[in-house]
Amino acid sequence: MTPVHFTFSSTFILGLTGLAFHRTHLLSALLCLEGMMLSLFVALSLWSLQFNVTNFSAAPMLLLAFSACEAGAGLALLVATARTHGTDHLQSLSLLQC
Amino acid sequence: MNPYILATLLFGLGLGTTITFASSHWLLAWMGLEINTLAILPLMARHHHPRAVEATTKYFLTQATAAATILFASTTNAWLTGQWDILQMAHPIPTNMVLLSLALKIGLAPMHSWLPEVLQGLDLTTGLILSTWQKLAPFALLLQIQPNTSILIFLGLTSTLVGGWGGLNQTQLRKILAYSSIAHLGWMLLILQFAPSLTLLALLMYIIMTSSLFLIFKLNQATNINTLATSWAKSPMLASIAPLLLLSLGGLPPLSGFMPKWLILQELTKQDLPLAATFAALTALLSLYFYLRLSYTMALTLSPNSPTGTTPWRLPHLQTTMPMTIFTALSLFMLPLTPATIVLLTF
Repeated sequence: MTPVHFTFSSTFILGLTGLAFHRTHLLSALLCLEGMMLSLFVALSLWSLQFNVTNFSAAPMLLLAFSACEAGAGLALLVATARTHGTDHLQSLSLLQC
Repeated sequence: MNPYILATLLFGLGLGTTITFASSHWLLAWMGLEINTLAILPLMARHHHPRAVEATTKYFLTQATAAATILFASTTNAWLTGQWDILQMAHPIPTNMVLLSLALKIGLAPMHSWLPEVLQGLDLTTGLILSTWQKLAPFALLLQIQPNTSILIFLGLTSTLVGGWGGLNQTQLRKILAYSSIAHLGWMLLILQFAPSLTLLALLMYIIMTSSLFLIFKLNQATNINTLATSWAKSPMLASIAPLLLLSLGGLPPLSGFMPKWLILQELTKQDLPLAATFAALTALLSLYFYLRLSYTMALTLSPNSPTGTTPWRLPHLQTTMPMTIFTALSLFMLPLTPATIVLLTF
């Protein structure tokens, strides 16, 4: 395991742990998702540098485009939840539990 | 919803699954999954209702996490082996990580708790898309990575158990359907490493049976058990067929839901796993209990009804019934076609 590999792995796992265990605000969950996607962006760009694969250099941009779409959808859902539930606390998303 | 937007979203759903089917590169497969998720989100939140929005938010969070973890696992695989090919997942750590995140994506047992809640917040058409079409792309990936670990057996057995157990106490039809989905997916995972064609067969049969059940519930406008009790007044013929359909979903012999369970149990016994086979068969009894309860309310009880409540059969249905007819006929009478189906799927 190279230092670069270790770095992006630990960044991703930090984001995943935050998403899984820090469940107060929807916005912080979205931020954790964005952090995970950015660590993947770094991983993909450094992979094409490390293995000298120039064919692969478009892939990080595609990833970034998709993660931007995903973040946009997440923010739209944040607005929708704020309008229907009055707050963005994840605790208040409890209408469907029965 | 505007028909152009609806057409675009449905096209996106089809495109996402097709891309995942056709890809051999992990990044492309991930893009297909993302397109799929992004296309179904507006369909789920179509009615601006707190329940629909909440279900959409929960679905978004789980699917985004699962997709990111899939991509992380494949990136780790690329860093370790230099390969992006789906069929060449050699390293065990990324393979297991992909397996677990796909399990989160389709809602298998330790990661299942989002599925009943999400399905409860949707209308029946979107729920039908969610529990049939959205399972195809993850299953295409699961069949391609060919995992060979005992995690599969664990996931399968816990899914059949939780799917049976969780549905026992439910009165909401969509939650019952979600738990039935979990149990059926558990059966598919149980056989995945021994006979992938049987997984495909079980998925096909599950899709057929659950589509016909969703369509019948939609025709009856039924979302909980109470409304099922008056379904005989809406369409008497369907009220007599639907219990058979539920028993087929439970896997009783003369109906075609028996076929996948039969073949899976036979294959498990052949692979020297009689304990797992016995446990799966016993947990199928739990599922059978709530299917039987549904069919009991639908066909065998005659609740006291007011005269106005018993006359909705005079109103014509606006829904097209052809897909429901085809799916129902397939899910009742396909057991004699078992040899032909096996031959078709093993080639």
